[in-house]
Amino acid sequence: MRRHGEFGYLGVVLLDQVSKRYGRGPWVLRDLTLEVSGLTVLTGANGTGKSTLLKIAAGVLKPTSGRVARPASVGYVPERFPSDVKMSASSYLAHMGRIRRAAATDVLDRLGFVGSMTAPMSQLSKGNAQKVALAQAFLATDVLVLDEPWTGLDPVAAGELVEMLQGRTALVSDHEGHLADATRVDLAGGHVTIDLSRVVGLDELEALEGVRSVVPRGSSARVVVAPDRSDHVLAEALRLGCSVRSVR
Amino acid sequence: MIALVRYLAADVLRGQRFLAPLLVFLGSLGMLFAYDPGPQLAAFSGSAALIYPIGAWLTVVVATSEDVVRREITVVSAGGWPRVLAAVAVTAVVFGLAFAVVATVWPVVASPRPYSFLQVLAGLGVHSVAALLGVGVGLMFSRPVFDSIGRTVLVVFGVVVMTYPLGRHTPLGWVLDALGDNTVTLPILWAGLIGFGLVAGAVALGARRA
Repeated sequence: MRRHGEFGYLGVVLLDQVSKRYGRGPWVLRDLTLEVSGLTVLTGANGTGKSTLLKIAAGVLKPTSGRVARPASVGYVPERFPSDVKMSASSYLAHMGRIRRAAATDVLDRLGFVGSMTAPMSQLSKGNAQKVALAQAFLATDVLVLDEPWTGLDPVAAGELVEMLQGRTALVSDHEGHLADATRVDLAGGHVTIDLSRVVGLDELEALEGVRSVVPRGSSARVVVAPDRSDHVLAEALRLGCSVRSVR
Repeated sequence: MIALVRYLAADVLRGQRFLAPLLVFLGSLGMLFAYDPGPQLAAFSGSAALIYPIGAWLTVVVATSEDVVRREITVVSAGGWPRVLAAVAVTAVVFGLAFAVVATVWPVVASPRPYSFLQVLAGLGVHSVAALLGVGVGLMFSRPVFDSIGRTVLVVFGVVVMTYPLGRHTPLGWVLDALGDNTVTLPILWAGLIGFGLVAGAVALGARRA
């Protein structure tokens, strides 16, 4: 992976100690650190902040605190694509292609789009409107951020979408378990953040079971770990010769 | 930026919400210029006073044409809120300038008095300044500065209505004052700069709030 400035990598979404609250309301996310460098699935009950996290990762929302690094070309599908769009699917996708300076894709064909490309999108079925939403997102070349992308899709299209996501860098919320092989991040499960210094063996650290992300900073690193594996990761980090600065 | 402006303009035109300000604008111009509107530059004062609220109204239409969710997709596609907000501002200004052209040409065609090229140019200038002020006010209180369309409409309406009694204490008042005297004065230029500042400030405020 190529470094992208001091913080982050090209083709990777990196969230560092991200917290979010709306106005003076309760915290929706708290000190979340996550590196998305492959297919990553967000899980968690309703209200655990999945959509908020996806919006922050895509660049729609700013975090209240923390840092986010993302590549230039991000594709985003929101939880509900609006149903009252007067523009036709072909016109909408042509505009989105021009905005991104991206060539048209065969996503609609692969997903089995059967509606009219020239009629207003408000006349499309929910599933076909969702396919248009996915088609505009797949114009992005670097990272996909998809909020419940299977909503409204028939089983064939849903299976095809799973195929299309293989090998891509994507952050996806998935209640239904379509992406069984992907890295899973359970927002309801919480995490432990371990700050290490004198770090050696970054690759070994990243490979440890339960490690969700490793963010290197010079000779130090911040490691985010699943709570049930934190003792194991701490022991392994010490065995590798790292010094533990803090555990939260 | 051009692709983004084209998309936003196409969305506004398909949405048809622009028809209400357009029809009010054309109907009012028809009434203003139905009879001899008076000396050349003074004839522009009514249309300049009209294009200010119409510009604000049209800007609210442009800024809120996409619903919240589609705007989110556009923001991600374009690479961030500042680009989208700048494109919204450019789109609103383009619509405002088109209205300024119509407001300038109408009396030139309809009035029995002959207009010199410089007077037409001056008319285009004052209408553009008034439209720019309206665009600035519309942008300043539209999404994402105010999320609620109801609040946006109320505040923009309030600001626009309050502008007229304040008379020469406002940039629009400077424009109307000069036209009333059938002259073009330097304060019109200052009003234009304030209009430009309002638009730029609204974009910066929106980017900060988003």
